Amino acid sequence: MNGGVNYRRDTKEPFWWGMFSAGGVVAALLVPIHILLDGLAIPLAWIDPGDVGYGRMQALTGSPLVRGYLFVLLAMPLFHAAHRIRFTLYELGIRPHMPVAVLCYGVALAGTAASAWLLLVLL
Amino acid sequence: MSHPGTSTSSKVYRPEMSATWWLKSRSYFLFMMRELSSVFIALFVLVYLYELFLLSKGPEAYGDLRESLSRPGAVALYGVAFLFAVYHTVTWFQAASKIQVLRLGDWTMPGWMMLAGALGAWIVISAAVAAYFLGA
Repeated sequence: MNGGVNYRRDTKEPFWWGMFSAGGVVAALLVPIHILLDGLAIPLAWIDPGDVGYGRMQALTGSPLVRGYLFVLLAMPLFHAAHRIRFTLYELGIRPHMPVAVLCYGVALAGTAASAWLLLVLL
Repeated sequence: MSHPGTSTSSKVYRPEMSATWWLKSRSYFLFMMRELSSVFIALFVLVYLYELFLLSKGPEAYGDLRESLSRPGAVALYGVAFLFAVYHTVTWFQAASKIQVLRLGDWTMPGWMMLAGALGAWIVISAAVAAYFLGA
């Protein structure tokens, strides 16, 4: 027990790696366009604000299909980021490893739960 | 009783690493930028989650957040986040095109073609998402 990464004996690693990988695909395909729309195109008025205001977002999130889509968009990249941040902190010499892993995956799990609650109950 | 290699005081190789090793070469630096992209991706997702939460609180709360997101600082941050997100997309499919080998009979699809296909799919999906969200 040296607080390090033991790739050979870590039986949970394949699961988290799978989530990292799936989340990486979601992040690669979907995140840039949402950043572009939400953070740049709307604030900079490249598109008519009337097209994307409160009413439009309400209508969109009323659809179960869109809610399912948003759940994938919100939850999966968190697992991708959690895994990357976990190992990057290790590469930067931040040890022990275990509390970092619990914190990273904990945030991803909490974000997933919050997304589910938001999309199933609140919206 | 102790066997070689099972002793609790076994010699574990622990390389000495400075916290700035990644500044020492271009490829290390790009590796770290690729890893850093995930921080921006996570931040975007968490802000978007918060934005949708405020959507459930009514037009006023939602409008207030939209207004803060139009401030120059927020727009600049999103600009940086967008560049990191695109860097993630490109590096992700670069890696995937090396890992995933596609063979059709005797022919193996070259890596550049896999990368071009993935990036093409990304553009098409992005356009479809934009069109759907904007109600076009």
